[in-house]
This record gives sequence, C-alpha cells and structure tokens, in this order.
Amino acid sequence: MSADFILYLIINTLIVVLVSPLFVSLVKKVKAWTQGRRGPSVFQTYFTLIKLLKKEVIYATGSSWVMRITPLVNIGALLVAALFVPLAFVPEPVAGIGNIILFLYLLALAKFFMALAGLDAGSSFGGMGSSREMSISAIIEPTTVIVFAALAFVFKSLNIFDMFATSATSGFLSTPTLILIGISLFIILIVETSRIPVDNPETHLELTMIHEGMILEQSGRNLALMELSAAIKLTLLMALLINLIVPFGLITVLSAAGLVAAIILFLIKGSILSVIIGLFESSMAKMRFFRLPSLFAMAFFFSTLIIIIEVFA
Amino acid sequence: MIDPAYVEGFVKILFVCVIVTAAYIISTRNLLTLVSVYAAQSFILVLMALTLWAVEGSPVLLAIAGITFLSKVLIIPYFITSIQEKIRIKRDLRFHFLSPTTSLIISIGLMLVIYIALSRIAQETTGTSSLFFFGAVIGISLMMMGMMVTFSRKRAITKVLGYLTMENGVLLFGLFVTELPFIIEFLIIIDLIILVLLTTILTVGLDSTLEEYHQRIHRFYLWEDEEAP
Amino acid sequence: MIVQLFWLSLVILAAGILIPLITSGFDQRIFRQISLVCTGISSLLLAAVSLVILVTGEITSYTAYQFFPGFTLSFFFDRLAAVFLLIIAMVAGCVAIYSTEYIEYLAGAKRRNLLCAGTALFTLAMVLVVVSANTFSFVLFWELMAAGSFILVMYDYSLGETTKAGIFYFVMTQLSTLFVLLGIITLFVVTGSSAMVPVPDGSSPLVTLAFIALFIGFSIKAGIIPFHKWLPYAHPASPSPISALMSGVMLKIAVYGILRFLLNVFTPELWWGVLILLAGTISAVLGIIYALKEHDVKGMLAYSSIENIGIIFIGIGLSVIFTAYHLTDLATLSLLGALFHSLNHALFKSLLFLTSGSVVHATHTRDIEHMGGLVHRMPWTAVLFFIGAVAISALPPLNGFASEILIYVSFFSSVAVVADPLFKVLLFICLALFALTSALSAACFVKAYGSIFLALPRSPESAVAREVPLAMLIGPAILAAACILVGLFSFQLFSLVGFTLPVPDLLAIGLLLLLMTALAYVVLWFTASHKVRTSGTWGCGTYSQEPVTEYTGHGFSEPIVTIFSPIYMTKKTSTWTFFDRENCIFESGNAEIRLMKIFEEYLYLPVSHAATIAGVRIAKIQNGCLDTYLLYVFVTVITLIVILGWFA
Repeated sequence: MSADFILYLIINTLIVVLVSPLFVSLVKKVKAWTQGRRGPSVFQTYFTLIKLLKKEVIYATGSSWVMRITPLVNIGALLVAALFVPLAFVPEPVAGIGNIILFLYLLALAKFFMALAGLDAGSSFGGMGSSREMSISAIIEPTTVIVFAALAFVFKSLNIFDMFATSATSGFLSTPTLILIGISLFIILIVETSRIPVDNPETHLELTMIHEGMILEQSGRNLALMELSAAIKLTLLMALLINLIVPFGLITVLSAAGLVAAIILFLIKGSILSVIIGLFESSMAKMRFFRLPSLFAMAFFFSTLIIIIEVFA
Repeated sequence: MIDPAYVEGFVKILFVCVIVTAAYIISTRNLLTLVSVYAAQSFILVLMALTLWAVEGSPVLLAIAGITFLSKVLIIPYFITSIQEKIRIKRDLRFHFLSPTTSLIISIGLMLVIYIALSRIAQETTGTSSLFFFGAVIGISLMMMGMMVTFSRKRAITKVLGYLTMENGVLLFGLFVTELPFIIEFLIIIDLIILVLLTTILTVGLDSTLEEYHQRIHRFYLWEDEEAP
Repeated sequence: MIVQLFWLSLVILAAGILIPLITSGFDQRIFRQISLVCTGISSLLLAAVSLVILVTGEITSYTAYQFFPGFTLSFFFDRLAAVFLLIIAMVAGCVAIYSTEYIEYLAGAKRRNLLCAGTALFTLAMVLVVVSANTFSFVLFWELMAAGSFILVMYDYSLGETTKAGIFYFVMTQLSTLFVLLGIITLFVVTGSSAMVPVPDGSSPLVTLAFIALFIGFSIKAGIIPFHKWLPYAHPASPSPISALMSGVMLKIAVYGILRFLLNVFTPELWWGVLILLAGTISAVLGIIYALKEHDVKGMLAYSSIENIGIIFIGIGLSVIFTAYHLTDLATLSLLGALFHSLNHALFKSLLFLTSGSVVHATHTRDIEHMGGLVHRMPWTAVLFFIGAVAISALPPLNGFASEILIYVSFFSSVAVVADPLFKVLLFICLALFALTSALSAACFVKAYGSIFLALPRSPESAVAREVPLAMLIGPAILAAACILVGLFSFQLFSLVGFTLPVPDLLAIGLLLLLMTALAYVVLWFTASHKVRTSGTWGCGTYSQEPVTEYTGHGFSEPIVTIFSPIYMTKKTSTWTFFDRENCIFESGNAEIRLMKIFEEYLYLPVSHAATIAGVRIAKIQNGCLDTYLLYVFVTVITLIVILGWFA
C-alpha cells in the first residue's frame, strides 16, 4: 500500500462527495430551462442536504433495525464503490480494488438494502417501489454485464484502473466502437440512476416511483444520506462514461498541478454530460412500466450487436 | 487517402446503425417515426457508398449514392408521409406470429447463422477482406429482417416498409460484394416496382390490412375526416 | 493418523445410529440427545480430517475389506473428497445442534428416535460415498444414502402430500441409481476393473454412453432441469433439518459424483463441456424464475437450490471446455469456482432452511403470505436469516459473492482467449443469463425477507410468535459466522490451500466498508441533529395501519411474473352455466388462472403413463394360471433342444 494509493483514497472520496450534488442540480437546472422556468440554483442540492441534516428523524412504528442501518450501509457501499472509479488520478490497483464486477455488485448491495427498507415500514408505496426496482434491475443486469464484458474485451483487463490508464495513454477514441459502447453505457446510466424514460426523479407520485418510492419513508439525516448516495451513483456512472470516451486530463502520476487540472477538466466534462442528460430527459416522456422490457430488449440487442461486431470483424 | 483503420471503424459503426434502424422497424408500434427511420437507414447507405467511393474511387459508387439519396431518402419517404397525413394512422398494434422481443432475439440468431453459413462458403474464395465479408453478412441479415417485418405485421404500410428494407439489404450486399454495373439496373427496376406497388395501394387505402383489400378494391373509397381503426 | 481419526468418527456415527434404534421402545429425550451429540462430535472430527487434507494436500488410500478379487471396500482421501467431507461435516454438525431442540417439537413420539438414527445413517452413507475408491463401493453407499433419505423424507407419512412427495422422490432416486449403475457397468465393460482410474480409450462409443448415463444419473440427483421436479415436493415435505441436509449436502454428493468421474476417469471432450454448461444455464435461469412465484417458503428455497446447482454446473462446464482448449489456468479457476460455490451454497442454504424451520415452527404455517413482522418477535432468527439472504444474493463481502466472482472472472477472461468466434458468442450469452439469475435471486430474497420478517404480522399466529430456544439458534449461528468469515477471508483461504487467484481481496473490501460506514456515522454525529421520533406511516388517510395494506409477496413478484409470462405460461380457463338455451341468463361460472406445471404435465405424466401402460401389458405374462407357466417351461425346453441340435 503505497502513499500514492492512500492519497488517492482520500482525494477521490473528497472529490466525489463534494462534486456529486453539483451535477444533480445541473441536470435539474437544464430540465427547468427547457421547460421555460428559471429553476433552482445550481448549488441547491448542497443547501437541501444541509437543511436535511438539521431536521429530526422520524421512524415508522412498525419499522425495525433494517430501516435504521440502511442509509449508513448505502452511503458506505457507495463510498467504497467511489474508490473503484478514479475521477482525476489513476493509481496502480491494490488488493483487487477497481474490479468492475465488484463495482457492479457494490451498487447491487446498496440497492438490496434500499429495497428492504422500502418494505420495512409496511406502506404500499415502499413495497411498490421495491418491487419495481428489483424487477428493473434484474432485467437490465444482462445488458450491463455484457457491456462490461465488451469493455473488458476491448481494454484487455477487468480492472477499471487499468482501463482508464489504457484509455488515457492511447488518446481519443482509439477504437471507434468505443462510441457504440459509450451509447450503451449512457443507456445503463439512465436506467441505474432512475431517469426519464425509466422513472421520474422529480415527482413522488406512485405512478412514477421506483427509486423515489423506496426512500419515501426516510427523513432528516437519513434522507440526506440517501440523496447523497443517489448523487454519488450518478457521478460514478458518469465518470465511467467520461473517462473511457474522453480521457483528457486523467493523470497517472501524482502532481499538484496535474491534479488541479484534472479536477477542473473533470468538472467541465461532467457538466457537459449533465447538460446532455438533462436535454435527453427533457426530450421524451416517461414510458409505461411494462413497456420498459421492450426498451431493455433493444438495449440488449444493441449491446450484443456491438459484441458481435467486435468479435467477428 | 484516409487511414484505412479509421475507415474500417467508421464503416463498422455504420453497420451497427443500419442494423439498429432495422431492429427499430421490426419492433416499433409507432408508425409516425417508421418512415423517418427508413429514410435514416437509406441515408446511412448513402454514407457507406460515399465512404467506399472515397476509398476506391470508382465513379459508379458516386452514381449509386446519388440515386439512392434522391429516391430513397427524399422521394419515397415524401410519398409515404403525405399519404399518412391524409389517412392519419398512428399505431400498428397487430402482430402476427412474432412479438417484438421475440423478433429481436431471432434477428440475433439469424445474424449468427448467416455468419456461420457464409464463413463456410467463403472458405474457398480467398482475397476478400473481413470488412467486405462482414458487409455481405449484414446485407443478407438486413434482407431477412425486412422479410420478417413483412410477414409478422398486419398493416399494409408496415409491410411495404419491410419490403423497402429488404431492398436496402440487397443494395448493401451489392455494394460490398458484387460487380458494380449490375447494381444500377437492379436498383432502377426495383424502384419502378415499388412505385407501381405504392400507387396501387394508394388507391385502395394504405391503412387497410390485406384481408380488407379485396373488399375495398371494388369501392375506391377515399378517406375523409375519419380516423382509421 | 488421518485414517485413525476417520475410523473414530465412523465408529461414533455408528453409535449414533445404534443407540436410538436399541432404545426405540422408550420415548426418552436423553437417547436422542446422545445420538445427536454423537453426530456432532463425529462431524467435528471429519471437519478436522478434511481441513488437514486440504491444507497439506496429501493423498491417502486405505483398503478395508476385500469381498472377492476385483471388488474391495476401499477408501481414497484426496483434496476433492476433502472439500465434500468438509461440506458434510459442517452442515451435519450444525443440523445436529439444531435438532436437539427441534426434534422435541415434532409429532410422533417414538418415531423421533428413528429420525435421529436416520440422520446419522444418512450422514454416514454420504461420508462413505465421498471417500469411496472404486465404483463398487460408490454404488453401494449411494443406494444406502438414497434409502436413508427416503426414510427421512417420509417422516410425516400420515399426511397425503408427504406420501406423494416421498414416492415421487423414491422413483426419481431409483431412476438416478439406474443410470449411474448403467454408466458404471459400461465403464466396467470398457476397462475391466472397478477402480476409478483414467479410461485408456478416450472416444469410443461405449465411453460416450457411460458419460451420458452417468451425467443423467447425477443430474437427476442434483436437480438439473428437466429432472428437477422431485425437489420442490421432497424438500417442503420433510422436516426442516432434513431439508437442510438434503438441499445443502445431498445435492452436492451428486456434484461430487460428476466431478470425480470427469476428473479421474474420463478425458472430457468439448461437447461434454457445452452440454454441462447449457444444462447448468437452463437450470439456473428456470430455477430462480420458478422460485419467484412460490409462496411456500421451503418450496422457494428448493427452487433456489436448483438455481445454485445450475451455477455449479456452469462452473464445471466452463472447466471442461477450458480443459479441452488446453487453457489450464482458466480451467482451474472455474473448477475452483464450482467447488467453492458448492461449499458456500451448503453453508447458506442450510442456514436458510434451518432458520425457515424455526419460522415455520413459530407460526405453524409455511405460507409467507401469512407471516410478517417477525423481526420484532424473533429478532435473532431474523438476523440469521438476513445473513443467509445477503449471502445467497451474492452481495459482497459475503461468501456467495466470493464464489460467483470466480465464475465471473473466468467468463470475462475466457472471451479474450477462446479462439472460435461462435464459442465466444455462446459464452457471452451464458454470461448474460448468469447475470440475470444473480439479479433475480436478489429480488427473490428481498421478497422473502420482506414478507416473512418485515412490516406488520399478517395472521394471528405471527402476531404471537415466540423466539426459538437457544440450541435452535446456535446451529444456524455457526453457519452464519462461517458464511461471513469464509467470504471475508476467501482470498487468504485460497492462498492457504496453494492457489493465488486473480480475484479481489474481500477482506480489504470488508474493512473499507466498515471504515466508510464508521466515517459517515462519525461525521453525522457531529453535524446532524440527534432528535429521533417514531410515528405512523402515511396510509393514504386511514386511521391505523392495517396488515391488509402491506405489499404481499405475490404483489412483489408480479412485475417479474408479467415480464416473463411466456415462461410461466399461465392457463386461463373459464366455464359458464346458463339457465336458458340461448345462453343469455347467467347461472354460475368458474374462472381459473393456473400456472402450468409444464414439466409435470408434458414430460413426467406422459412418461409415467407410458410406463404404466407398458407395465400392464408386460404383466399379462404372469396371469397366475398354472397351465401358462407349464406352457412356458415346455416351450423353453423345446427351444433348448433345437438350439442344442442345430446351432451348438
């Protein structure tokens, strides 16, 4: 465990925690602009989190220790997952940290606990959210694993750190099929972070609740943790997409100037991607729940096609 | 002129886009976008012909690109869109034999089968680069997917678009594999057939299924302000 | 030293069998306790033996008794046998601890002695199967295991459903023995000996026949689709500790069988691997899909076992494919994945069966729609079941994830090195289906845990359920601790046994998780408000929260059932009766939505009908009339004379 790696742990965690709420607000701002509104301030999510920390926590009468530990387990799992996706500085992997399958399953760990917490209070909203979330994540899982397998095939490594390092050293778009994999990663981002057309992250109605339904019972500091975890998940998946397709600014050797430049470049790239996500969300309506498997079948078809092209030609 | 590895990557992306448009045509229920997707598919073929012209420099390819652009990206889609506006049909919900998800899965299987078959046939002929071999595979797959649209949907307009997709597949196959002068004759004949087919259907009603065709052909019924069932 | 310890454990197990049998006339608790303690002690000794063999890697052979030349009763201890001995030992020991209290609650006073004796006999038979050195003793102890398990399944024989389950199980297990025997006899014909040594002639048709017969025989016993139908009947019908033993251990003995023959006897060909891989993938996907619609908690666990056996077969199939392609590193990796998953599945599945046995005992029902709120009434059982659910959903850093990542890594690494493009596509498709099963099992166990333990009680019995006694908690607790420790220290355990694997170190991940959670907690302690309150949840304006408004298990799995409805093939039938002839005035009607049991109706029932018809026809030969039999003798003698005269 070199000093570089420990520095990386601290730096990456700090960047992720500080930057994630910004991207969430940026997406909301873009959506507001397209609807002709001014929208909340770009720093609104920070204010919301601070406000939530000051409020009291209310637990439902039937709930158990599951609801009490879920926010902590959630944020813990996502912070560990954040260590797997380098945002600015890519060190050498240690003890298997950076394995892409472990990354996927850490996200699944957070989802498992969230789904149980949704069932804990005994209300129908939470149950509906849990049920839909587990079904959706089950159907998108084959596509996600195939896309990751394609990534592993193209970059010849299972470790995200190695993938980023290869991408950073070989320049922009070494393989044109990376664009296609980028499109698949974008679809996975939309599904995993519950954006339109899969779920509406802005409302709390039962018709549009998948993610929002499961966290309906949380309040106070627990709700702050759940919102922060959702923001971190968005940032991590965005970082995966950005650093594979446009890896400008990623540094593999630690230096102060390089680090500052890398962070600023990541902020710029992330903001552009947030704008793209916001515009994409504004351009379509949420799909009916049972139409989603057709969308996922298309995504699976697309990913398999990429694999076939890569493997055969 | 241009770096061949880059060209190969670009053509691969175009292949994927073509198959994705064909998959969209197979599985969509929304008729309004169907024609635009077909126009996009034909445009991708134009791009491919242009790329091949840039690499090989044969003027026939330029002619093909031009004819395809005129007929399939501009004229035929304009025809069909204007009919659709008059008739105002929006959805095609009736599937025969295959649901959308099943047809997607079958298309993947189809592509694998065609690949295996062609690789066994092509083992004797040497000198074909992998990209051109793959172009043949994609061409035949596109044709088969068009055929799947034709038999698995009930509305006549979707059947026509399936037939047009089939023709695109033949064009793609020809672009990559056969000798060039043959293609131009092929194209013109097929376009004429399509125009004839379209005009016949126009008089009968583009939204009808083939069962109602026989009833309608006696009546020359022109739709007015009614929405189609 | 190993052999002495082994003999000691066998003797203690035999004592555990004999004591309750001798004292079966007395319904005294102490004899049962002694028997179960004997089982526990011998499990401890067996675990020690297996750990010694695993770590040192020494191979021991021992001949016990020679019946006549060529057929001996001999034992062979190597690492493969040691893994399965460890599985048997750990599960049997914890089941024995659990049973000391559980048996007292069962009905049937003196029969309980037989249950203890049967458990010890079952364990003894499985141990002897695993250490058999030749096919003769293998089949002998395989039959003993089958007979012992049948007696145990039929414990509640007065219930109709138990009898049906038992008979079905008995027929399937005899069918499996039939195929195994066919395979072994074919091998004997080919090699001339019953020792488990490599067959010289690799690809003759007889060897292929032997492999197919053995594969079918072991698949029936392991529960591979389409031979799986006995599992969802037999596991719910038997008492919970027996279900744990059967599901956790007996299915693995079938896995041991196929592995022993693949590794030591055959030189596998490529298409064998593809067959095993496809069988495993289909079982994994269909197993978990059928588990999602179950509302009987033990039926759901049975289908989940089918899914996990499918995963083990995926690992074995991959290993065979890689061996055929001479990729030895990947072959070792996937084989280790399959073996590790066998161990882990035994641990967490028996944990789940034992805790669900506690739950069933406390609420007197197996239906999860009638449970709920047990996390407050039975807190320790809730924690133990939770650990089992997290382990089986393959979540890091527990042991389920540790074994699945081995298989994932072998899949991911293989697509780069396997040359044939068609194989690559096959591997990708199997990888996608494998990911699907893993996600679906997480959904299934969220549903199970949520319906059983969380929210409010849905029936009066659940509202007054009480926590089970200490012994019924200690057994599962040992298994739960093993799940956590084996998962966290998986990398270290493999290094101890001599393999450095390209997988992440879960201990580091576990420590990081703890660190990050603690960090978040500390930060919140200083920055957030400490006020906490409990209040009612929003019930859309109703006064109090009723259990009726909770989400049911059926409702939870409804999206998945709808999405996969072509696989479930629900059949809707409706009948009407009318008062009048024109069928206008409706009298009464009946509408039914049934999930079709495809395998039962289209595979098993036609086969059994055909077998019955054939049996009836053949039975006409024995019509009981003396004259017919004399006629048979007459015809036989004439035939013999003819043969003697003309053909000899």
